[in-house]
Amino acid sequence: MSTIDWIVLIGSLLFIVIYGVWKTRGSKDLEGYLKGNNDAKWWSIGISIMATQASAITFLSTPGQAYTDGMGFIQMYFGLPLAMIILSVTFIPIFYKLKVYTAYEFLETRFDLKTRSLAAILFLVQRGLAAGITIYAPAIILSTLLHWNLTLTNVFIGLLVIIYTVSGGTKAVTQTQKQQMLVMMGGMILAGVMVLQMLPADLSFTDTLHVAGKMGKLNPVSFDFDLENKYNIWTGMIAAVFLFMSYFGTDQSQVQRYLTGKSLTQSRLGLIMNGLLKIPMQFIILFIGVLVFVFYQFNEAPLFFNKTGTEKVLQSSNAGEYKELEKTYHLVFEKKKDAVSSMVAAEKVGEAELVRLHQKRIKELQVEESALREEAKTLIVKTDPRIETNDKDYIFMNFVMDYMPIGMIGLLFSVMFCAAMSSTASELNALATTTTIDLYKRSIQPQKDEKHYLKSSKMFTLMWGILAILFATSMSLFENLIQAVNILGSLFYGTILGIFLVAFYVKKVGARAVFIAAIVSEIFVLIVHFLNVYELAPGLLKMGYLWYNLLGCILVLLFSILIQKLVQNHK
Amino acid sequence: MTEKEKPPVFKSWEGWYVLLMLFLFAQIIWFLYLSNHFS
Repeated sequence: MSTIDWIVLIGSLLFIVIYGVWKTRGSKDLEGYLKGNNDAKWWSIGISIMATQASAITFLSTPGQAYTDGMGFIQMYFGLPLAMIILSVTFIPIFYKLKVYTAYEFLETRFDLKTRSLAAILFLVQRGLAAGITIYAPAIILSTLLHWNLTLTNVFIGLLVIIYTVSGGTKAVTQTQKQQMLVMMGGMILAGVMVLQMLPADLSFTDTLHVAGKMGKLNPVSFDFDLENKYNIWTGMIAAVFLFMSYFGTDQSQVQRYLTGKSLTQSRLGLIMNGLLKIPMQFIILFIGVLVFVFYQFNEAPLFFNKTGTEKVLQSSNAGEYKELEKTYHLVFEKKKDAVSSMVAAEKVGEAELVRLHQKRIKELQVEESALREEAKTLIVKTDPRIETNDKDYIFMNFVMDYMPIGMIGLLFSVMFCAAMSSTASELNALATTTTIDLYKRSIQPQKDEKHYLKSSKMFTLMWGILAILFATSMSLFENLIQAVNILGSLFYGTILGIFLVAFYVKKVGARAVFIAAIVSEIFVLIVHFLNVYELAPGLLKMGYLWYNLLGCILVLLFSILIQKLVQNHK
Repeated sequence: MTEKEKPPVFKSWEGWYVLLMLFLFAQIIWFLYLSNHFS
């Protein structure tokens, strides 16, 4: 990276941190620190909600996802608008009526202390670990690209967030997320425009869409029903509704964002803004991946996108074999480039039959290309088994570093760091709030004054920040943990959502029934998960983990009604 | 908390919810067009 890129990167990050601290200096009371004095407007809430959900992995992986598998990923978000409506109608009015700090406080009003504590602890475990991932997942990619030490990258991201989150609390989180969102969306849209300009001059926008579509990358909707397949319209419209209801309605890192609202109306509008903009935002990010794909039909893509892997293999005894693969890959690329150009020419004159012939030829060449990439990965693993062969996450930034002009590279690295910081900040803020309100103030030290709790909230923010950095640094020691933590959300979300739905809709169910039902359901979901993972019941049960949200939720509803009936009959 | 400040366009919330769902369906239809027209 050039000096200008470094100035853009470090300058933008430092500006956001310093501005966040300065603008929110002097938080004097607990309400101000944890709820931002309830003065946020709807657009500020909307931005904050979107910035919290958009982690660095969203920006690093999504374009690569579109590059390799097309745009099917977008279907995951189809359930989001419906979830926003359900939450606006049911959850938010109750949170406002009770003037709660956390979602779990409501559970004590409706059930009892142990149900509230159970939900709060489930949240702390799951979100605490996830905060480590939010830092670690981008750090591993960014440290490779920037040739930084992984531990230092973890500490760098963690420390920047800790500085303003500890100092300014919720207000600082919301304030900085506005600038971070501006950098993120501005940077990505600018990148999209630049990729369009880098495409061959005689390739119109419609031609670009034809190339992408005919090569299987413009496929945002699939109607095939398959429980195992994460990306189809059924998963998006059914299972994802439950995921988003749990995430936005019961996960404190999101609930806290709209509880900062000036009024119920402002919070509802914030959620509706999220419902309106989320799919277009994901579409833009995926479409940038598709544009990069079209770009690489006319410019040769690397055989393997993680340059560290390529460098290692080229320094090893496998270098000769790898170079041979690169030569064959180059020949396949040239043939494919000609076929794509011919297909575009045939499309322009409306020769449908000729287009189909070229399309068939291109498909054959794509298969050859994939086989060569697989061979390259085998060689890389043979050289160093520790290198991650899934290079999807490196596609976009690798393109940025190779082809983007000076200044843009720094800006796009800033996009990734901003995304990591905005999600982590919301997580630390929510973890500290839940620890203070649901555990410390409720059960450990209930008789202290406001000043004491404000100080404790700051201490808990710092503690969770340090823990997140420690989790992140230990992730590299336990690679399997990452997958586990990624699905951890879906394992617990269903149960927590079930508890809330029982609270709202099944008035006759009492505290004891829901508590037992929650524990039984959670065990049931975990059993299903292990049967899936270890394939202990092949053919009997195979389920994509998004469906766990629906399963857990339905089980809690069913079991709690059943247990309540049993208890009543017994009496 | 008060419902004094109603959204400016619609008198009730239903309007916003209908708009949101209509926008979702419009997007899905557009995605279907993208899939079919360019493949």
